[in-house]
Amino acid sequence: MRIRKKYLFYFLSLTSAFAYAAAASLDGLISYKYINDPWVLGLSFFLVGIVITFFIVIILSLPIKGKSIGSRIDPSFRRLRLLKKEELGYQLLASMGNAVSTLGYYFVVSMFIDSSVVLSFSQLVIIYLLIIESIAEKNAPTLAEVQSSIIVTFGAMLGSISLSGGINVEALLIVFLIINPAWVLFASYQRKLKLLKIDDRPNDSINIRFWNFLFTTIIISAIIFLINKEIFFKSIDAMHSSFFWLSLGVIITFFSVVLFIRAMGIGKASITQAVRASSIIFTIPFIYILSHVIPNISFVTDPVMLLIKLMGIVLVVLGVISFALTEVRAYVFINAKGGYSIKELMKKIWAIKGVDAVAALAGTYDIIVKIRIRTLGKGYERIIRKLEGIEGIWEFKWQSILKEWEEI
Amino acid sequence: MIKAYILVRTYVGKLENVLTEMKKLSDVESVAVVTGDYDIIVKAHVDTLEDLMELTDKIQLIDGIKRTTTSVIEKEITL
Repeated sequence: MRIRKKYLFYFLSLTSAFAYAAAASLDGLISYKYINDPWVLGLSFFLVGIVITFFIVIILSLPIKGKSIGSRIDPSFRRLRLLKKEELGYQLLASMGNAVSTLGYYFVVSMFIDSSVVLSFSQLVIIYLLIIESIAEKNAPTLAEVQSSIIVTFGAMLGSISLSGGINVEALLIVFLIINPAWVLFASYQRKLKLLKIDDRPNDSINIRFWNFLFTTIIISAIIFLINKEIFFKSIDAMHSSFFWLSLGVIITFFSVVLFIRAMGIGKASITQAVRASSIIFTIPFIYILSHVIPNISFVTDPVMLLIKLMGIVLVVLGVISFALTEVRAYVFINAKGGYSIKELMKKIWAIKGVDAVAALAGTYDIIVKIRIRTLGKGYERIIRKLEGIEGIWEFKWQSILKEWEEI
Repeated sequence: MIKAYILVRTYVGKLENVLTEMKKLSDVESVAVVTGDYDIIVKAHVDTLEDLMELTDKIQLIDGIKRTTTSVIEKEITL
């Protein structure tokens, strides 16, 4: 199928947000009706999860008409495979991040009576990701991206906040210093994994999820077993008694994360995370359904609270639309001067922020460069000025892309 | 795997038709409408040079194509 890549990114991120909202609501139902202890719920989810995830990946590996079922979800996926050496370090770091943020989350939920106010600050992870990208990534965020991310972050905080709880400094510190940084580690390294090339093909999100889940389960199980063996054995009991509901949660979460990883292979981690924050909107119908099942969950009717939530939703929608509308892409055709190595020129061009691809050609032009930036102004500041400063470029032509369709 | 950029110029008034036909072609990775010397830039991936010739032939036969310039990619760095 040939569609605009931008649409694919938003389709993946929004579908992931919807699945995430469904999984979170199901979590609420399980914790109310079946497993009250958050630690037991967390660990039993992982223990059931690894079995179910393994079977899902096996099913997705089955071939139909020469292609695996999973290739319909991620075209790079062929079958479940062993981890490659180059993935191991990234997987360990991503799993460590996942495990720590999960343990931090369950600690806050179990220690503080109403943690919803504090947990809404976990939306600030978008800002953390922006800061990391500004420092470490080749393609640093632009002002438009920073503005839109801040709009989405505060929108998501307003949309997920509850007035019933209070601000607890200790819980807040756990969110700021443990949960959010650990999630940044998790998201950043999952993205790095997705951008890796395995056997000359882009890495697939299904294998990334499977191995990450396996390592995370091992780390979490080991930590809980060492700290409190009772929780470990209670979790094994809970696995048996609530197998169906836990499995359902695992399946929905699996697809949510797979789509999230795939989206991160197209866009930046901060923007993917920001678009995924729209799950606060998708949560509304699920909360409405849950309010009929669980007595202490009530659908908001207080006009002030409704107004706050509405403002949050409007901000999230505005921020996401503004991401989608601010993107400039272009091709730059380059002819090199004689006596300069094309290979060296390619390296210098690749080092420029905003360069998406560099290709050496046989034909009219020596090099073709694909640019992806947020504004045309950035095109001048970041690209043209830099290209003009490279010795060895004889001339170049800028061709702005008006519209593009890509194979998915 | 051979990758190539096919730079296309079209006749005025024929752009929409050319795009519709190009989106149907296999072995095409992306189709971009651009401003400047060219009207469309196609990125193709084929198994052999013979396949590349067949693809460029198909593009040449689309109603509205004025000229094509094919450049084979020798080396590529991407995200």
